[in-house]
Formats: sequence, structure tokens, C-alpha cells
Amino acid sequence: MNRLPLIIGAVIAVPMIVFLALALDINHDVIESPLIGKPAPGFVLDSFEGDSIELGELEGTPLVVNFWASYCQPCVYEHPLLTAAARDLTGSVNFVGVVPPEDTAEAVDRFTSRLGAWGPTYYDSDGRVSIAYGVGKLPETYFVDAAGTIQHKHAGPLDPQTLATALEKIL
Amino acid sequence: MLIRLTIGLTTALVLVAVALAAQVEGRSVDPMAALGTPAGPPIEGDDLTEQTLSLGSKMRCPVCQGASIADSPSQQAVSMLGQVRDLFAAGYSETQILEYFERSYGEFIRLQPRARGFNLIVWLAPLAAVLGGGALVAARARSRAAAGTGSSAEDLDAYLEQVRSEVRE
Repeated sequence: MNRLPLIIGAVIAVPMIVFLALALDINHDVIESPLIGKPAPGFVLDSFEGDSIELGELEGTPLVVNFWASYCQPCVYEHPLLTAAARDLTGSVNFVGVVPPEDTAEAVDRFTSRLGAWGPTYYDSDGRVSIAYGVGKLPETYFVDAAGTIQHKHAGPLDPQTLATALEKIL
Repeated sequence: MLIRLTIGLTTALVLVAVALAAQVEGRSVDPMAALGTPAGPPIEGDDLTEQTLSLGSKMRCPVCQGASIADSPSQQAVSMLGQVRDLFAAGYSETQILEYFERSYGEFIRLQPRARGFNLIVWLAPLAAVLGGGALVAARARSRAAAGTGSSAEDLDAYLEQVRSEVRE
């Protein structure tokens, strides 16, 4: 029996099957961050109330940067969790929210009036802080240690276990 | 002695200041500070629009399904395209701009992955399939030709003889 066709078929099919299997295993909604283990990109942001914040001011204390939006439903889901964590860790971890250019002061105010605020929220008016952090679909949360290094990124709404594990990395 | 000490201290202070400035620049959200000197001269007008859209069509929109930032109307894509435009306008090259976006998004940002490492499969698999398919067809044709010479003529003769005998009957 001529085995050549079988061998040629296997040479073509096996790499394709392996490639497809690996591709199927990738969650395309989660962007692997090259920033893990690197310094958090610096920023200066203003709040809708006119307050300003600079990343450098927050160094020396672990930091949680949460990118969210008033129209984002998964952000509603994780909100109570962040509220509880921010309350429990007052003084030992800073929690900062960043909303995108398309959000408005009124919408953010309605959101926080209804659900409460777990920390100050700042307005990324041109979207450049989101780009510098590699933000994709909201919400996304970055965990920065006291030295200013990003230790963890979580894409999507936080759950209690994920939040606890991520906080352990920066405390 | 005092002069040498003063010069030495001043030099040390300048070096520390430069090092600190470099550290701050490296961490800045400002891409121009992060990227350093532009590779070329500033551009504007149609050239600027053309290059922005050309590069934008090669960059993946992070909030879409397989669309480029040039094709997506999402705010995130608009912000990214705006930043690409600003960088081209300042004279940064396509390579420099992609390098900046790759710092935060990694290779994900490229709609067309680089032809290196594991990505080579994407480039080589179609070529391997074509070459393999060609070799398969050639091998089959050769084996048929080799097996078929003579025997098919004999088969045909036998068949013709059978037809003739049936017609005679």
C-alpha cells in the first residue's frame, strides 16, 4: 500500500488541527497585557468636579485602577464588591476609577447616586490613559503595588475570589 | 580643589536629573515622551490622512470583533486613530507608532501577525497545503500511470471481445 498520500495528508492536517485547537483555547475578549511586571503608565487626570490626580501622588501605597463606564452593565455587577473592598482597605489601598471619553458628568453622577461611589472617578477625556494601559472591553481593573509596578490585570467584572487573589499580589 | 569638587557635584546632579527625567518620560502616558525622537519630518494634509487610515486598517480594534480601528465607529477606535494621526503628524514612523501601541496591547494590536515564531504557521500552512496537495496529485497520477500501462489495454481488449461475442449471438 502506498503510504505517501497518508503521510502528506498528516503533514498538512496535523499542524492545522493543532493550530485550530490552540486558537479555540484563546479567549479573544481578554487581551494579554505586556504591562504586567512593568511600571504603571503615568497619568494626570481630572475629575468631573475639577479635582486633579497624578499617578506619582499615589505611589507608596498599593493602587487599584478600575476602568469603568456609567453605561456598562458588568460594571454594575462588580460595583458592590469594589465598594466593600475600598471600605475594608481604606488607608492601605487606593481605589481610583477612570471613565472613558464618551461618558458624561450627569451619567456618572446618576450611577454613583444610585449605587454609591467606592472611590474618586476621573475622566479620560481623550482616551489616552485607556490606550496607555491597553484597555479593551469595560470593565478592566489594574492592580499596582506600592512601588508602582502593575502586578495584575483583570478583564471583565470582578468576582470575590479574583479580587482577593489580585489584592494579595499588591499588599 | 574646591572647583573640582563643585564641577564633580554639578556633573553628578545633572546626571541624576537626566536619569530621573528619563524615568519619568518612560512612564509617561504621553507617547511622544515615551517614544523619543520622531524618525522623520512632520507630515500633514492628504499624506497624513492616507498614512493614518493605512496604519489604522492594520490595527485591531480592542472592543470589536476582528475590525480595524479605521473601520470601527467605537469611541475607543476613534481615540486610537486620533493618537495614530497625532503621532504621524509629529513625524513618527509606522514602526514607532506600532511599537508604542504594542507596549500596552502587545501583538494583539496587529491584525496581521508578524511572520515569526508560532505565527509562522499562519504563513506556512497554506503554502504547505498547496505543495502537499500538488505532491499528492502528482504521486497519484504517477502510480496510476505506472500501474495502468498495458493492463488497461488488456482489459479493453477483453471487454471488446466480450461485446463482439454478445453482438454475434
